[in-house]
Amino acid sequence: MTELSIELTDDRTGFAPGEEIRGTITWSTETPGEKIELRLFWFTRGKGTADASIVETIPFNQPSPHETRPFRFVLPAGPYSFSGQLVSLVWALELVASASKTVVRREIEVGPDRREVRLESVASKVSAAKSWLTIKTG
Amino acid sequence: MRARDNPFRSESILRVRYRLLGIEWDQLLGRCEQLHYRAALVGPCGSGKTTLLEDLEPRLRAKGFETVWLRLNQESSLRERWSLSKQTTGQFLLFDGAEQLSWVAWQFFKWRTRRAAGLIITTHKPGRLPTLWKCNTSAGLLSDIMAEVLAGSRFTPPADLFRKHKGNLREALRECYDLMACGAHDQTARSVVASFFSDTAPCPATVSP
Repeated sequence: MTELSIELTDDRTGFAPGEEIRGTITWSTETPGEKIELRLFWFTRGKGTADASIVETIPFNQPSPHETRPFRFVLPAGPYSFSGQLVSLVWALELVASASKTVVRREIEVGPDRREVRLESVASKVSAAKSWLTIKTG
Repeated sequence: MRARDNPFRSESILRVRYRLLGIEWDQLLGRCEQLHYRAALVGPCGSGKTTLLEDLEPRLRAKGFETVWLRLNQESSLRERWSLSKQTTGQFLLFDGAEQLSWVAWQFFKWRTRRAAGLIITTHKPGRLPTLWKCNTSAGLLSDIMAEVLAGSRFTPPADLFRKHKGNLREALRECYDLMACGAHDQTARSVVASFFSDTAPCPATVSP
């Protein structure tokens, strides 16, 4: 059995494009020949078919059975994390132990305010404006 | 509701596996062997044919078969339809969307793949290969799938959801997505909002504190 964990420095999960993500990963494995790697990637969630792209991978060579190692990624300029009604784009770190097929994932947000961008539909904005107007004018 | 939080998002739906009723997997595989591993999964759109074929794959691989996927849909080009059958000797073909081939293309495909170890197709109507399994849906099945996907989240589906989509579970679940996304999924919430804006209800803004 293999146990994996990802810890982010200061437990921070919000980042601006171009910023560094730092942290440590820890594993404990009894599986011989285990291969460990950490991936930075984004994927989509929503109504349609999911899309994904691995931005960078850090392999941890010659892993001993129990170990903690630091990691560092530099985020690209985009894409930003965003959420609308139909689709969300989510950034994440994924730690993979391939021999035991163990995976652990930590989601983060990447955006100008270190938060995901929220997309609102035009219809909902118009509807909200009408409701406000109705209440105001009685 | 954010797309990432919608319980009916595609990744949640894809986790729902086929519910085999009235037969065990070993029996289904036994039936497939009796048909010399050339058979069809038959059913209308959104009845789970692709899901069943996906769930058969690991069981066929466990029997030692090397599986290869072939897929066609309505958008597939003529070239894609005619270039499907490459070197397939010894491989077990899982062909999703066989109804997209014309009769002539289907005959050519069958001849080209005659040396494959096996061939299971999905198709809307019976006839091209012996039927291994007929995929059916029901309102009860839709309810079970919704319960699995919702995992405790509150959702009141429209009463005629199954009938409206004529048993197409994929389209029914897509409507559930839309209802959740725009917040129209909660009967209680719908009633409160409706009464708030009705002509007979007093406007809360005019009520004295």
